[in-house]
Amino acid sequence: MMTYIVFILSVIFVVSFVGFSSKPSPIYGGLVLIVSGGVGCGIIMNFGGSFLGLMVFLIYLGGMLVVFGYTTAMATEQYPEVWVSNTTVMGVFLLGLLMEVMLVLYVLKGEEVGVVFKFSGVGDWAIYDTGDSGVFSEEIMGVAALYSYGAWVVIVTGWSLLVGVLVILEVTRGD
Amino acid sequence: MNPLIFTTILMTVLLGTMIVMMSSHWLMIWIGFEMNLLAIIPILMKKYNPRTMEASTKYFLTQATASMLLMMAIIINLMHSGQWTITKVFNPTASIIMTSALAMKLGLTPFHFWVPEVTQGISLTSGLILLTWQKLAPMSILYQISPSINLNILLTMAVLSILVGGWGGLNQTQLRKIMAYSSIAHMGWMTAVLVYNPTLTMLNMLIYIMMTLTMFMLFIHSSSTTMLSLSHTWNKTPLTTTLILITLLSMGGLPPLSGFMPKWMIIQELTKNSSIILPTLMAIMALLNLYFYMRLTYSTSLTMFPSTNNMKMKWQFETKRITLLPPLIVMSSLLLPLTPMLSILD
Repeated sequence: MMTYIVFILSVIFVVSFVGFSSKPSPIYGGLVLIVSGGVGCGIIMNFGGSFLGLMVFLIYLGGMLVVFGYTTAMATEQYPEVWVSNTTVMGVFLLGLLMEVMLVLYVLKGEEVGVVFKFSGVGDWAIYDTGDSGVFSEEIMGVAALYSYGAWVVIVTGWSLLVGVLVILEVTRGD
Repeated sequence: MNPLIFTTILMTVLLGTMIVMMSSHWLMIWIGFEMNLLAIIPILMKKYNPRTMEASTKYFLTQATASMLLMMAIIINLMHSGQWTITKVFNPTASIIMTSALAMKLGLTPFHFWVPEVTQGISLTSGLILLTWQKLAPMSILYQISPSINLNILLTMAVLSILVGGWGGLNQTQLRKIMAYSSIAHMGWMTAVLVYNPTLTMLNMLIYIMMTLTMFMLFIHSSSTTMLSLSHTWNKTPLTTTLILITLLSMGGLPPLSGFMPKWMIIQELTKNSSIILPTLMAIMALLNLYFYMRLTYSTSLTMFPSTNNMKMKWQFETKRITLLPPLIVMSSLLLPLTPMLSILD
């Protein structure tokens, strides 16, 4: 099972995405976001990115999702929608689950899966540690490169976040 | 809106488009599109009534879907070519998805449904920015991937857009919807020649932006958003009736005016590539466009349109400062003798 851990984690990832895409109340959406964040962290860690995975937990789940949870709790309604309370929500959830199950069976059974790009069954999901990353971890070097070669990206992203805050304040301000 | 924040947000719209036009990495292009979309939402919502909020929501939803499709195409391109630089998109699937995404951003048929509804719901100045500046970024990406675009899909979308833009505008009396359908038709003309000679796409874009800027500024100047209200300009500023006449006929593509230049060049380029039926169809469908421009000129400049006596006087608001209107009017009507200038667009 450990060889296919990335495949299993990615299936749980997609299932939790289906869970919040079927639009229950935002509280429950936040709940599956926690699950999907944790599982995403696991996927990244399996590729050797321990720093980025822990950053997902710390910043995304521990910062952004906490604030989201607080604001949603303030704005929630008396009887929030669960996945089983509304026929439409349950229908969409079950449809997404069904499609994911069919895809998983297709991957597990077949030799080659060619939807848009080909990959050869479950074997392609296993991570082979080639071990020639040298002395430095690749992923920390990537983060460092973001601040040296990718300085423009940092500037643009930072500016987008600032303007995002301004835009949201402007839109919700009303008259 | 607080002037400092308004300036910041407007500059971010400009920055987003500039990032799209000047980046060589697909991810930065996507970031530029998102920045553009994010920052234009409060500009669309300048007045806070339910109609503008609905229009901005519709705009946001369609453009976000288009950005998602664009990201998918970028990732498929990455998987098949292993690099992130802007060149022609080698994989046909990625190329088709990217063309559809950019068509959604431009408002080509079959993704044109948001254009009239969004343009109608927002103020005239926001509509101006929406129909001119927002077309620059997707068109620049289409220009850059033009060697690899699937010809059948693009030509189908272009011809259908010209048809829908002409046909859909026939029954309209609201000026903003008329401009929206005109935009759909012009985008169709622009993308029809994209695969054959992308320089003409840029020429058409340039002339279209000049004419649309002129029209919108004339509408802003007479504070009119319906055909009936426009038909009262003879009472307020008689000179603008002539200017509206000239600019509308130029938009319709009539010969001595500059609107004829892109259509002439495009038809010439298409016939050079041995397609005869296509430019004939396009020229015939452009007549539908000309019909509703003519109807506007008929009611505005050629006749004193009937209305009740107490509606003949328009409210004399204080004169709005319209930037650059005289040069724009001159450029959108008299540029035809300068046709050889399109060699500078290469």
